[in-house]
Amino acid sequence: MNRASSSGLYGAIQRRRNRGLVGLYLVVAAFLVLYAVLFPGILTIGGFSKFTQNWFPLALVTMAQALLMLNGGITLAIGPLVSLGAVIAATTMGSAFGVPGGILAVVAVGLGIGAVTGAIVALLRLPAIIVTLAGSFIITGVALILLPRPGGFVPGWLSTLLAGHTPVAFLLLLVILGLWKIFLATPLGLAIYAAGDNPVGAFRSGVPIERVKIVSFALSGVLAALAGLFVAAQTGSGDPIIGAPFTLNSIAAAVLGGVGFLGGKGTMRGAVCGSLLLSVMINVMFFLGFPPVAQYVAQGLIIVGAVAVPAHLALWRAAR
Amino acid sequence: MINVNETSSGALRRLLKATVAAGLVLAAFSGVANAASNCVKGDRKAPYTIGWANIYSVPTWMKQTEGTITAEVDELKKAGLVKDLMITDAQGNAQTQIQHIQSMIDANVDAIVVIAGSSNALDRVISDACDKGIAIVNFDSLVNTDKVTAKINTDSNEWGGEAAKWLVNQLGGKGKIIVMNGPAGISVSDDRRKGAQPVLDANKGIEIITETNTEYNVAPAQEAMTSLLFANQEIDGVLSLGGALSAGSVLAFDRQGREQVPITGENARQFLELWKEKGLKGWATMQPNWLGALSVYTAVQALEGKSVPAFIKVPLPVIDDSSIDSYLARADKFPADGYIYSDYDKALFDKLLAQ
Repeated sequence: MNRASSSGLYGAIQRRRNRGLVGLYLVVAAFLVLYAVLFPGILTIGGFSKFTQNWFPLALVTMAQALLMLNGGITLAIGPLVSLGAVIAATTMGSAFGVPGGILAVVAVGLGIGAVTGAIVALLRLPAIIVTLAGSFIITGVALILLPRPGGFVPGWLSTLLAGHTPVAFLLLLVILGLWKIFLATPLGLAIYAAGDNPVGAFRSGVPIERVKIVSFALSGVLAALAGLFVAAQTGSGDPIIGAPFTLNSIAAAVLGGVGFLGGKGTMRGAVCGSLLLSVMINVMFFLGFPPVAQYVAQGLIIVGAVAVPAHLALWRAAR
Repeated sequence: MINVNETSSGALRRLLKATVAAGLVLAAFSGVANAASNCVKGDRKAPYTIGWANIYSVPTWMKQTEGTITAEVDELKKAGLVKDLMITDAQGNAQTQIQHIQSMIDANVDAIVVIAGSSNALDRVISDACDKGIAIVNFDSLVNTDKVTAKINTDSNEWGGEAAKWLVNQLGGKGKIIVMNGPAGISVSDDRRKGAQPVLDANKGIEIITETNTEYNVAPAQEAMTSLLFANQEIDGVLSLGGALSAGSVLAFDRQGREQVPITGENARQFLELWKEKGLKGWATMQPNWLGALSVYTAVQALEGKSVPAFIKVPLPVIDDSSIDSYLARADKFPADGYIYSDYDKALFDKLLAQ
């Protein structure tokens, strides 16, 4: 009895959270269909794998960004963290550490940097945007010191495994999304939303706000660093500045996916969908043969459209 | 009887084997003759579709380079060799460039001309394209992999070395200089700087006060130089490793009312005009924009079955007091913030390809 009513509540909440995203889902679906019409090869295993591999790192950094935005924070250090992750992977995997050591090092560095940033933001009560901006300079510097110019080494088999002609990257994304779902069911996961939506209320209900902040920064750091690891595997090497564009793109994708700047508003699935739109858009515009100048304009129009359509659908629904 | 039969059939078998072997050798040779260039398999027929995978189209140098590419494609279209040109702009994002090149492979273009956004990041996708028999010509900013049809570039090390040599000579081997570099972590700026080092090491009288790292743009370079001018009363020369950097430096000296010092640079129109206007002691070289046109030409030559060199080193054109007037005479044909490149024609391309 109790269980039935709680699952009914769960369903109702999920429906309400999805409602704002219907417009985005439609836009993304339309683009995917258009892409498949323009390039039927996407429906083969190889084509699908290559496409999802190009999307995968953006999906990861978008999750890293959304995680913080849901919590009322933001990070400008995503791009540099991706670069640092790639640099560490490419400099450790060729040494005695090997691949397992390299993966551990990347995770440890992402976790450590994230936790320290989170601690500074939460305990010293400094604005996240300033702390992560400063952090982005430091991390960029460290990446450039470790690897002054592109280079390093990632074993060929790892590149083939993660970014070959099989959809391993896509499966990893599904696993990570599954883990996020499970994490959300834990008190700590739930607290991320609570602390972002209404920090005072959450605090009074016994949510350890500071700890939640530190944990979300740490998790975000791990995701960004892992995106770097993937980029290193995909490209077969490290590049100390390759991640830079990810900072802005991660914010764009998250906002596109309906994640609000003020915390507590939005969903991870929306954010991931937003990143998918940003990625598929590039390929669709290529196959439509848009010249680069038109691509800049079209990109802007699509982003505005993808935000406007859901907003107007909501208005229309409210008026009805 | 049986014996004889056996020997004859044995001989026949041997003869057959020999024929097959000879055939194989012939096939191998003709294979080489048909597709002497790397990546090209000889199964693609004119007119070709060419993909131009640019890393970033906004800077003026890139626009001018794209101009030489489209002009060359128009020529080749008239000759019936090219049917289509697909242009992409990765907006500075190496990751997006990988995605674009992947799409070009998916669209089965015949050739890809590329300026790499990262020296290593494109290696895997480019070798994928090479495996598909697509002719890859890479210029300006080069990739690491050798699985390309041709790489075309000037020598950035030589750029730095020649610039440093000229400056050291101007200063008589003694003086305080400032080194202006492009952004850190970019191979081109790194290589130019590295090329200058042996020359500076060999001349102990030259003291480097400090170095700057800025975008290849006038404004940030001017800003950086302006603050250095406040801090340093004695500067004897500027080793600038980019044209916009030089223009920024000259403007900074000018605004501060400081006397101009010998300066190296690049064929940026603004710098060349300042050079003439202020009567500078100057020296410049260039990354010719027609490397773009040459790349398209090379790709088509390779697809047509001609053998092209795996690396085409383009000699650095030098601008000094004797040749600057010939460049400034053509200035009005180039954008105000653009680069006045040396003349080029098909004969020059053929000469470079024949190295």
